[in-house]
Amino acid sequence: MKLIKDRIAKLSFVALLITVTAAMFYAPTASAHGEKSQAAFMRMRTIHWYDLNWSKDVVPVNDTMTVTGKFHVFAGWPETVAKPEVSFLNIGIPGPVFIRAGSWIGGQLVPRSCTLELGETYEFKVLLKARRPGDWHVHSMMNVQDGGPIIGPGKWVTITGSMSQFTNPITTLTGQTIDLETWNLSNIYFWHAFWYAFGIAYIAYWARNPVFVPRLIAAEAGKYDQLITATDKKVGMGFAAATLLIVAATMQSTNEQYPITTPLQAGLLRGMKPIEMPARTVAVKVDSATYRVPGRAMQMTLTITNNGDSSVRLGEFMTASVRFLDSAVHEDDTGYPDDLLAEEGLTVSDNSPLAPGQTRTVEVTASDAAWEVYRLADLIYDPDSRFAGLLFFTDEAGNRQMVTVDAPLIPSFI
Amino acid sequence: MSASQSAVRSRAEAVKVSRTLDWMIMFTLFFVILGGYHVHFMLVAGDWDFWSDWKDRRLWVTVLPIMGITFPAAVQAVLWWRYRIAFGATLCVLGLLLGEWVNRYFNFWGWTYFPVNFVFPSQLVPGAIVLDVVLLVSGSMQLTAVVGGLGFGLLFYPGNWPVMAPLHLPVEYNGMMMTLADLSGYHYVRTGMPEYIRMVEKGTLRTFGKDVAPVSAFFSGFVSIIVYFVWHFFGRWFGSTAFTKGS
Repeated sequence: MKLIKDRIAKLSFVALLITVTAAMFYAPTASAHGEKSQAAFMRMRTIHWYDLNWSKDVVPVNDTMTVTGKFHVFAGWPETVAKPEVSFLNIGIPGPVFIRAGSWIGGQLVPRSCTLELGETYEFKVLLKARRPGDWHVHSMMNVQDGGPIIGPGKWVTITGSMSQFTNPITTLTGQTIDLETWNLSNIYFWHAFWYAFGIAYIAYWARNPVFVPRLIAAEAGKYDQLITATDKKVGMGFAAATLLIVAATMQSTNEQYPITTPLQAGLLRGMKPIEMPARTVAVKVDSATYRVPGRAMQMTLTITNNGDSSVRLGEFMTASVRFLDSAVHEDDTGYPDDLLAEEGLTVSDNSPLAPGQTRTVEVTASDAAWEVYRLADLIYDPDSRFAGLLFFTDEAGNRQMVTVDAPLIPSFI
Repeated sequence: MSASQSAVRSRAEAVKVSRTLDWMIMFTLFFVILGGYHVHFMLVAGDWDFWSDWKDRRLWVTVLPIMGITFPAAVQAVLWWRYRIAFGATLCVLGLLLGEWVNRYFNFWGWTYFPVNFVFPSQLVPGAIVLDVVLLVSGSMQLTAVVGGLGFGLLFYPGNWPVMAPLHLPVEYNGMMMTLADLSGYHYVRTGMPEYIRMVEKGTLRTFGKDVAPVSAFFSGFVSIIVYFVWHFFGRWFGSTAFTKGS
C-alpha cells in the first residue's frame, strides 16, 4: 500500500513538473487593461462613454489618429467613490506606444487635471501619434483622484512601421526646434559619465593601497592616526575644491546657455465646458428592475412618457460601455468593438412608436453573454445594489435622445 | 599546518591575499549597497527621481537629498569607525547611480520605451564627495553632519542643473505654456499615473518670488543634517560586533 502511495506521490510530482514546464510553451501576451476586473457599479454609475469613434484601425508610425466621443458624468455617482473634482482625461494604452499629441474636453486642452460636474455631458477628443509598432488596445479613460481609473471601451488598433523612424519635433518659445525623443540625451550621458568617472577617481585614490585588512588590524590596535596621512587630506580637499568649482562653473555656464527657463507647470483646470444638451422630451420611470442570474439578462419595467412632438422608440440601452441594441430601431455603423456590442440584445415588450403625449409601461430585457464576459453580473455582490445606464430613444427623423436611468436592482437566482 | 600557523608564507603573499580580499569585499559591498540603497531610494524618492516632469524646484530639490543621505551616512559610519576609510558616501551614490541607470535603461526604455531623456536619474556625486572629504579632514561626525549634510543638500540642485535646464525651456502647446519636461510627461503616456498624482510646485513658499530653489536646497540641507545623525547611528549599530557569553 505504501509503495502505491509513494508511486502516486512521485507521479503526481512529475506530472506537476511537466505541467509547469509545458506552461512555458504557452504564455499568451497580457494585452487587456483589467477593465473587466473593475467593480461593476464603478463602470455603471460613474462615467458613461458614448458616441465613441476611433478614427483609424491601422496607423503607420508618425501618423496620427483620434479617439473622440462624449462622456456623461453620472448624477447618481456612488457615495463610495470620490467625486470627480480632480479628474484627468487619460488614454488606456500599454505605455507610450502612441504619444498623446493632444487631449481636449469641450474644446479645452487638458494636459492637466480638471474638475467635472455631476450630471453634465462633455465632448472629448484625444489625438494620438503612432510610435511603437504592434496591436494595441486603445481605451478611453478617466482618472478620478481618490476614486481610481474609470476605463471606457477599448478597440484594437494596429501600428505599422518602425519605431526607429519616430520623431517628435517641437519648437520652443526660444525659437529652437528640437526632437523631444532624443533632446538633451548626449548632455545627460556626458554629465553622468563625467561625475561617475570623478567619483571612481576619488575611490581609486584610496584603493591604490591595501584597503580593508591592514586598516582593520591597525584600527583595532588603536593606530587610527597612522591611517590618514596629510597627503590623504590634501588630495581629499583637492577633490572637494574641484567638485565645488565644477558645480559652480557648470551652473553658471548652463545659465548662460539657457537664460530663459520656466518652472514645471501644474494646477487644476476648472470651467470645463459641458455640452448644452437639448431639453429632454422623454421621461422614464423605472418601476422595477431585476437581474436574472441564470439567463444573463436584466429586465426592467419602464414607464415611458413622450413629451415631445415626434414619436419615439427605444433603440439602445448602454451600461458600462456595453451596448444592447434593438436592431429594428437602431443599428451601429461606427465600428464599435464587437465584444461590447449586443446588436440584438435589447427586447422591448411593445416597441411601436410612442406618440407625443402618450405614456406606456413596457418590459425591457437586456440580455447578452457580455453580462458575464464583462463581469457586470457581479453587481449582485455590490454593497449598494443598484444599476444605472443610458437609454437612447430615436424619433421619426432619426434623432437620438439620451435618458439616464438609475434604480435599485433585485437579483433573481431561479 | 596547525591552526595557529599563518595561512601565508611570505609578506608578498600576505599582500596578495589582502588585495584579493580588498577586491572581493569592494565588489560585494558595492553590489550589496547598490541593491539596498536602490530599493530604498525607489521607495522613498520614487517618482521624483523617475520622471523629468517631477523634477521641480521645490519638492525634488527638498526630498531627494534628504532621502539620499541615509545610506551614505550609515556606510560612512561603518567604513570610517572600523577602517578609517573615507569613501563610504561616494561608494554609495556610485552604486545607486549604476543601479538606477541599469533600471532606467533596461526597464524604462528597453521594456516600456520611455525615452531616456524623460527617465534618467538624478545624480548625487558632488554632495557625496564633499560629505566624504569633510569626514576625512575633520574626523568628526558632528562636523560631517552639519557641514557635509548641509553641503549634500545644497549641491544637489546645481549639480543636476546642467542636465535639467534644457528640459525647462518653455513651449507653447495648443494655447498653453509648458516646459519640455511637462510636455514629455504629457506625450509619453503613463497609463497608471494620472497627472494629479504628480507632486510638483506645491506648498506655500511664495515669499521668495521665483527664487525658491535655493530656499528649498537650504531646507533640504538642514533636514539632511538631522537625517545624517540618525542614519549614522544606524550604521554604527549595524557595524558593531557583539559576542554572547557561553554558558
